[in-house]
Amino acid sequence: MPLIELTEVAKRYRVGEQEIAALDGVNLSIEAGEYAAIIGPSGSGKSTLMHLLGCLDTPTSGRMMIDGVDASRASGNQLSELRNRKIGFVFQSFNLLPKFNVLQNVELPMIYAGLRAAERRQRALAAIERVGLSNRVKNTPLQLSGGQMQRVAIARALVNDPRIIFADEPTGNLDSTTGESILALFHELNVQGRTIVLVTHDKDIAARTPRRIEMRDGKIVAGNL
Amino acid sequence: MKLWFSLLMGLKEIGAHKFRSMLTMLGIILGVASLLACFALSEGMARGLRESMTQFGGIERVDILSQDPPEEQIGFADISPGSTVADAEIIQRRASLVTCVSPESNLKNAALTRGAQTFRATVDGCWPDFVAIKKHEIAAGRGITQLDLDEARHVCLIGQSVAKNLWPGNKPETAVGQSMLINGRPFTVVGVYAFYERSSDKTRREQGLERPSAGRKDGLPGGRKSSNPYKGWDMFSIKNLAVQIPITTMFYDFKSANVINNVDTGPNYKLDKLTFQISDVSRFQEAIEQTRGLLENTHRGIEDFTYYTREDSIESMEHSIKSIRVILGLIAGICLVVGGIGIANIMLASITERIREIGVRRAIGAKARDIFFQVIVESSVIGVCGGLLGLAAAFGLLGVIAKLTESEYTPVVALSGVLISFGFAVVIGVISGFYPALKASRLDPIEALRYG
Ligand SMILES: Nc1ncnc2c1ncn2[C@@H]1O[C@H](COP(=O)(O)OP(=O)(O)O)[C@@H](O)[C@H]1O
Ligand SMILES: [Mg+2]
Repeated sequence: MPLIELTEVAKRYRVGEQEIAALDGVNLSIEAGEYAAIIGPSGSGKSTLMHLLGCLDTPTSGRMMIDGVDASRASGNQLSELRNRKIGFVFQSFNLLPKFNVLQNVELPMIYAGLRAAERRQRALAAIERVGLSNRVKNTPLQLSGGQMQRVAIARALVNDPRIIFADEPTGNLDSTTGESILALFHELNVQGRTIVLVTHDKDIAARTPRRIEMRDGKIVAGNL
Repeated sequence: MKLWFSLLMGLKEIGAHKFRSMLTMLGIILGVASLLACFALSEGMARGLRESMTQFGGIERVDILSQDPPEEQIGFADISPGSTVADAEIIQRRASLVTCVSPESNLKNAALTRGAQTFRATVDGCWPDFVAIKKHEIAAGRGITQLDLDEARHVCLIGQSVAKNLWPGNKPETAVGQSMLINGRPFTVVGVYAFYERSSDKTRREQGLERPSAGRKDGLPGGRKSSNPYKGWDMFSIKNLAVQIPITTMFYDFKSANVINNVDTGPNYKLDKLTFQISDVSRFQEAIEQTRGLLENTHRGIEDFTYYTREDSIESMEHSIKSIRVILGLIAGICLVVGGIGIANIMLASITERIREIGVRRAIGAKARDIFFQVIVESSVIGVCGGLLGLAAAFGLLGVIAKLTESEYTPVVALSGVLISFGFAVVIGVISGFYPALKASRLDPIEALRYG
């Protein structure tokens, strides 16, 4: 059974009188350990799909199984738990809490997982070391560069040891060299066995991932196995 | 554990916006301070009033006064001998629900003299039980005895103010054994009463804080402030001016002749008052009826007497205490509610400011109830801090009130008042966080992340 399986998934928004189908009959399956890139023009529904995959939103219709759980029928609390334990999400705009330092930002998912302080600290420090920021533990996000902030966000996504990491244009706000190092980090994580799905605009990046999923007008037009 | 974390978050959030939090808290601080001050003021007043009422003899004391007989009895009212010592005797012998009884015959504006000192006061002729009924306390010497009464001895019991005025400069207790004149007739002081004062005045005096006042120094009623000489004219001062002699002596010495327009109309052995004390307040009405039955006999069915009880005045006193409490509490409560609205307002502003943060928290796994709880904890922390500071501020407020009003009653800060005011602040904190918390917890994660 695939790790992620979408069957006839649609997401429709109602804007005034009009109904917009951001996703329209999407079928997709991703196996554990895959490294996939979603590409496509702006407005094709990439972010909408990522939000569904990341359990931040639910489909209007269709079925979505994630690691054996039917996310399309899950309650709000169940979705929160999926996000907390099974999924790590990396955003284009980092989404760190500006008032918290690096350590506190990385600890946050473990607080909602209910871990004790000592374990939280130990695991957070390990995750921060993993992304190479051990010397910036006490800094706040505003004292870091864009690349460093994205590393903190990745550490935060990793810290509860999820099976899947989703990243929506993680290099979109970074210069190309910094973007490269972030992608290298994702590559390493994939080699270590984590399933990674990322959205990118960059053809070069997409060319290097083992699988490319191409979207247009809310549909997957290529890359579906 | 999450609770602990939420608490830290709340404190952090408050610490991050010190000025704003302080302004928000101010509403709660003032609310709690005024609520506790109101409790303390009304409690002080209630205690003061109840204390005076007890000095007066409490609810168990009943007076029987003379009155004009009803219209239909006027034609044959003469058959009643009026109120006499016989009334007291029959009550003493037959009324099982009465513990103490004393007749009272007064000599108003009597001249009390010792050496060059003269002083005017009311002298009461009475029975030994009078001391108990009026809740008098003998500080030195003894009371009036049955033998004093039987032999109509020239002995008297006096209050401290009387002693101070007749023996100025001496300790009042030293008056025992000395003699003095009442309307020219010699009497021996056999006992001096204790000094009566409000417990609040007593503590003030013991702390050496007595306000200088001419009236108080010589023990005369006259108030603490010269601008209001009647302010000090209370039950305590009245009792300090007591002079009591056996009622028999009163009759023989002062009531044997009743000179009206140079004609002696004969002795006047009528009582001014009959006072008794009921053994069991729960059988109050029963005791009244019992004595009424007895007096109907001695008065031969003529209703020329009436009862005066403290029931009504105590009831109306308790009633006014209650209304004052309710009014003050209501005003202070409104203050607190306004403070709560302030908290709700600030919390709404605060979550609007943090919509994105809430989105991030939801995205990494916070449940809706975690967000709800975080906001509630934050507003509760404001409530608790405001409550604690408010309790402290209450003492300051009471100090200011005391300076401004010079109230008769010392405010009493009771534990119940503290708990209620503080509890109210906490409840207001929780309630005012409710709507903002609900709003925050219902935010859609995606919408929240896209915000701002
Ligand atoms: N909340 C929303 N309400 C209405 N329309 C939306 C909403 N979110 C996305 N859309 C629409 O859905 C389509 C897909 O958007 P999106 O997934 O963000 O595209 P991409 O990320 O590929 O650029 C767009 O046409 C967008 O306008
Ligand atoms: Mg997008």
